[in-house]
Amino acid sequence: MSKKEIDPRGPRFGAIITSILLLTDVYLAWDLKTFPLAVSLLSVITALFAIGAIFGNSKHPYGYLFKRLIRPLLQAPKELEDSRPPQFAQLIGLICAGIALAFGFLGEAYQLGLIIAVSATFFASFLNAAFNYCLGCQIWLGLARAGIIKA
Amino acid sequence: MPIDSGLLAIVGLLFLATLFGLVWKATTGRAKRIKGGVQIDLKEIGATKNGLPVTKFGEHTTFLQFSSETCSTCKQTAKIFEQLEKTSHGVLHIEVDVTHRLDLANKFGILQTPTTLVLDSKGIVKSRIGGAPKQSTIEEEIGHFVI
Repeated sequence: MSKKEIDPRGPRFGAIITSILLLTDVYLAWDLKTFPLAVSLLSVITALFAIGAIFGNSKHPYGYLFKRLIRPLLQAPKELEDSRPPQFAQLIGLICAGIALAFGFLGEAYQLGLIIAVSATFFASFLNAAFNYCLGCQIWLGLARAGIIKA
Repeated sequence: MPIDSGLLAIVGLLFLATLFGLVWKATTGRAKRIKGGVQIDLKEIGATKNGLPVTKFGEHTTFLQFSSETCSTCKQTAKIFEQLEKTSHGVLHIEVDVTHRLDLANKFGILQTPTTLVLDSKGIVKSRIGGAPKQSTIEEEIGHFVI
């Protein structure tokens, strides 16, 4: 992850869209008739997380949307933020959504697994969007200390 | 009309997440008093300020802030403390990045960043603030030491 300065409102805007998509996905997965649709939507969400985790938020489609549609309506940001924290959050999103997607590919029998994993992803994304909850602040150190991720 | 259980599920989820967010917002950034706190060794933590090693504690209070690279609120917290340093007498702010100093994170049991230790003039830990400190918390903490 390389350091870059970005408008902090960009990732939060993305988190709002992600939250809505994830909540929709839980709704679709709840009914077995729409379960395949939930898996398809989840594939898209997972791919979007992958873009964010690998290339960073500024290369993300939501980043473009923010720059073209939202940013012109706003005043200049009070301060810029390091691009690494939101990129880390995208990585966590990718892992959670990836687990959910694996359940989805295993089939309807794993409906509950998919719903739980998508719900967890929604939780983090919603807290980020609504409360400015930062995963990099809350869980990075715990994971690093446990040796799960490397500094 | 039958109740749509899927709809109920997502409303419940939204409610739970909101509840968690409100509780988190209310409890984060509060100071916890530490009894019999240890004395901080400035050399061991490798404290630097403007590129120079820090050798002395603040005359009244030192805010020792632990940060990490993936932490977006750390920068904002540091700004608040730096401002405070300028306006309050005897206050020192030290920021230590634990990204490559996991030994310090282990030693002080730090799980989240920013975590701030409030030290007295001898560098003894008096309280601990987990998360981005609230303005009122900082003022209270200073009030304890500044006479």
